[in-house]
Amino acid sequence: MSKKKQVEIAVIGAGPGGYAAAFRAADLGKKVVLIDRDPSLGGVCLNRGCIPSKALLHISKVMEEAESLSKMGVTYNEPKIDLKAIREHKNKIVNQLNGGIAKMAKARNVETIEGVAAFQSNSELMVETKEGSIIITFKKCIIASGSTSSTIPGVLSDHPSILTSKTALDLVDIPKRLLVIGGGVIGLELGQVYASLGSSVSVVEFLPSLVPGADQDLIRPLQRKLKKQFESIVLSSKVLKIEAKKDNMLQVTTEDSAGESKEIYDKVLIAVGRKPNVELLKLNNTDITLDESGFINVDVYQRTSVKNIFAIGDIVGNPMLAHKATHEGKVAAEVASGVPSAMDARAIPSVIYTDPEVAWVGLTEGEAKKNEVEYEKGEFPWAASGRAIAVGANQGKTKILFDAETKKVLGVGIVGPSAGDIISEGALAIEMGADAVDVGLTVHPHPTLGETMGMAAEAFEGTITDLYVPKKQ
Amino acid sequence: MIKELILPNLGEGIEGADVSEVTVKVGDKVLSDDTVLVLESEKASMEIPAENTGVVKEILVSTGDVVKTGQLLLKIESGDREKGNKEKPQKTKVISPPTESIKPEPNETAELEPQLLETTNSAFASPGVRRLSRELGINLQTIKGTGDKGRITKDDLNAYIKMQMFMSRGGMPKPAPQIDFSKWGEVESQKLTKIQKITGERLQSAWQTIPHVTQFDEADITSLSQYRKDLNKKNKKTKLSFLPFLIKTAATVLNEMPKFNSSLDYQEETLIIKNYYNMGIAVDTPNGLVVPVIRDVDKKTVYELSAELIDISQRARDKKLKPNEMSGGTFTISSLGGLGGKFFTPIINPPEVAILGVSKSSWVYVHDQKTNKQTLRYVMPFSLSYDHRVIDGAAGAAFTTKFATALSKTPTFIDSK
Repeated sequence: MSKKKQVEIAVIGAGPGGYAAAFRAADLGKKVVLIDRDPSLGGVCLNRGCIPSKALLHISKVMEEAESLSKMGVTYNEPKIDLKAIREHKNKIVNQLNGGIAKMAKARNVETIEGVAAFQSNSELMVETKEGSIIITFKKCIIASGSTSSTIPGVLSDHPSILTSKTALDLVDIPKRLLVIGGGVIGLELGQVYASLGSSVSVVEFLPSLVPGADQDLIRPLQRKLKKQFESIVLSSKVLKIEAKKDNMLQVTTEDSAGESKEIYDKVLIAVGRKPNVELLKLNNTDITLDESGFINVDVYQRTSVKNIFAIGDIVGNPMLAHKATHEGKVAAEVASGVPSAMDARAIPSVIYTDPEVAWVGLTEGEAKKNEVEYEKGEFPWAASGRAIAVGANQGKTKILFDAETKKVLGVGIVGPSAGDIISEGALAIEMGADAVDVGLTVHPHPTLGETMGMAAEAFEGTITDLYVPKKQ
Repeated sequence: MIKELILPNLGEGIEGADVSEVTVKVGDKVLSDDTVLVLESEKASMEIPAENTGVVKEILVSTGDVVKTGQLLLKIESGDREKGNKEKPQKTKVISPPTESIKPEPNETAELEPQLLETTNSAFASPGVRRLSRELGINLQTIKGTGDKGRITKDDLNAYIKMQMFMSRGGMPKPAPQIDFSKWGEVESQKLTKIQKITGERLQSAWQTIPHVTQFDEADITSLSQYRKDLNKKNKKTKLSFLPFLIKTAATVLNEMPKFNSSLDYQEETLIIKNYYNMGIAVDTPNGLVVPVIRDVDKKTVYELSAELIDISQRARDKKLKPNEMSGGTFTISSLGGLGGKFFTPIINPPEVAILGVSKSSWVYVHDQKTNKQTLRYVMPFSLSYDHRVIDGAAGAAFTTKFATALSKTPTFIDSK
């Protein structure tokens, strides 16, 4: 006999979108339960994504910086790597944040249930827990069940030496030769972690460029760096086959314009994208509809085709980013609580947390050209920034795209250390409808990397004194 | 599984309707799309169909109730859930479809209209102001920003609300004190019909928001009258009234003077001139005044217009007009020619900018300067009310002169489309 429970709002998934939704709804006075199949709250982002990867990327960055000190007159001995200690360091960070979320849930009287939730109808959930099943009748439900790493159709994926982003972060060992399949954000970030820990990393990407959605002028400085750190970067190449060999080695067959080639690797990381976690939800018991890519259809209020059920985050589509999920989670919680909220964000920033970082928000030049958007551009090369030179970031660049007519900021792209932090000014500029003059006349502290935002706007305006820009016609 | 039937959005401007008939009772079996309720709204009646097949469990409204968009009407229990049914848009079979889009918006978030948000996408306003606009239900597109470079600020939203409050205060007449008329004699109370109430509101708003000027003139329709008589003699099957001729003539003059065939945009910054001629015809019905619209009158013959006039007037009296047959007009003619009186001041039918009022024609002696003789002429008095924001006095006089001159010429209507 199942236990029964009635709630105002049931939230499925305790990732950054789900817990934000649950907490916001609780703060608006609703009785909320937060369901997750994982005992530790925080979802992929906290447990097996953003946070652990950033803990590890920080290590690679500091190692890299320490090494670069040799050019500045400071030398260290070769680093010694204690993998167990690194793992513990990473786990400590994750556990600290897990505990933080659990405490906040308790403080808000949000009940958390560990179990797998499946719909029975448009108003009921069946949650399978270790202690048995619970039937939850809800007034509103918010689906935030996230996504899982995709595999390559027809290619071996279930093998101890084949890693996903999740298992790669477990950091079981440092493979001698690692192949990363997929030159996107996740592949490059993890590739860099393993490279700095000593692996010989190769990347194979199906498309003709790394991180295809980003402007390639921003990717190029990163690509130059990775070329030095990695064994190889092969573009426009397709993985045909992965075969298990003895000693858990893997033979990978790839094909590009030059023909097929075979290589042996110790491990292979598959980072070819993520797919929405819809299967376990048993959506066929509801009237919820999916789009052709398998994401849940939602409106600007995050409502699914069933108006008392909301969906947010990765499960409703790209970009699959934690900060998008959090924002949508709050919108869903507010609408479900009767607050006239809506998903009204004009831009969602994207960041690659590699060294150097790459960040962009709003319109990219690629999109502008594709959609024939009339734009103008202000660019500031970091080679002209004192601070950038001092920290060895001459390769960096900040560019701002302006509306050709109104000069309002349409998009910002940055490559260089802390790009992900600087990009927030661009997001604010877009939301506020700031134009080139607004950004240029805002006093930026000197010397900082963030100052390059103001400089790019000034370069566009022709008021810059840190560069010589020939007069506009 | 019990499905709730909720009153869908019936179209722009129609917020509620009276229940005129409940065609089912609890326990009845209904098929999907069967009519369960008949509603009467403003100027149209419509049937509300069941959305699923099943048994009526509960009826939450009864005849005479006023129901609002989003209101729960009844509950129908379906035997088994049909998967094929999902995402099927709620269909409301409307004898008179109000607009093309009828969207179901069940439950308490029904009042959220995504369109409102889409329009904020281009508004120059910060995220906080955009949020406030949603909370206040203000379409940012209608606000003029006073911040730097035209940015919409919170103060602009506050000012907008104050203005709305002021306008609604000024717009509504002070309620007259309740008077007990029966203390002076016998009285009888008659409830206003829905049409009378709505017409009243619209007329008041038009009268108060549009600066009206009315120009009077007379047209010599002696030869037109003869021409009409000849036609009616030749073609006994269809008797033409004067109205089709007046419509055709008005369309010709509108074509020459396009400002009269226009609308002001809501911010009164742009004049929208229409390159089509849809004529509103004021029709008196037992329930009140309605104004059906005849489309593209410039492309129709007087016989076609006559047939359409007979059809819409009849359907107007039978309350069978569809809402879309009463919208989209570019100019209106109100004819009291069959009744009597000489000159009146018609009230403009917004968003149009002018209206023609036709009075009863009569035979009068007219002095002809050329021959220095008095001749008996059949003369039609008419009035033109126009929106003085759009049309100046000279243009108003030019219009009535052109109209009168065109009517006095020997007609050529039959050949011309």
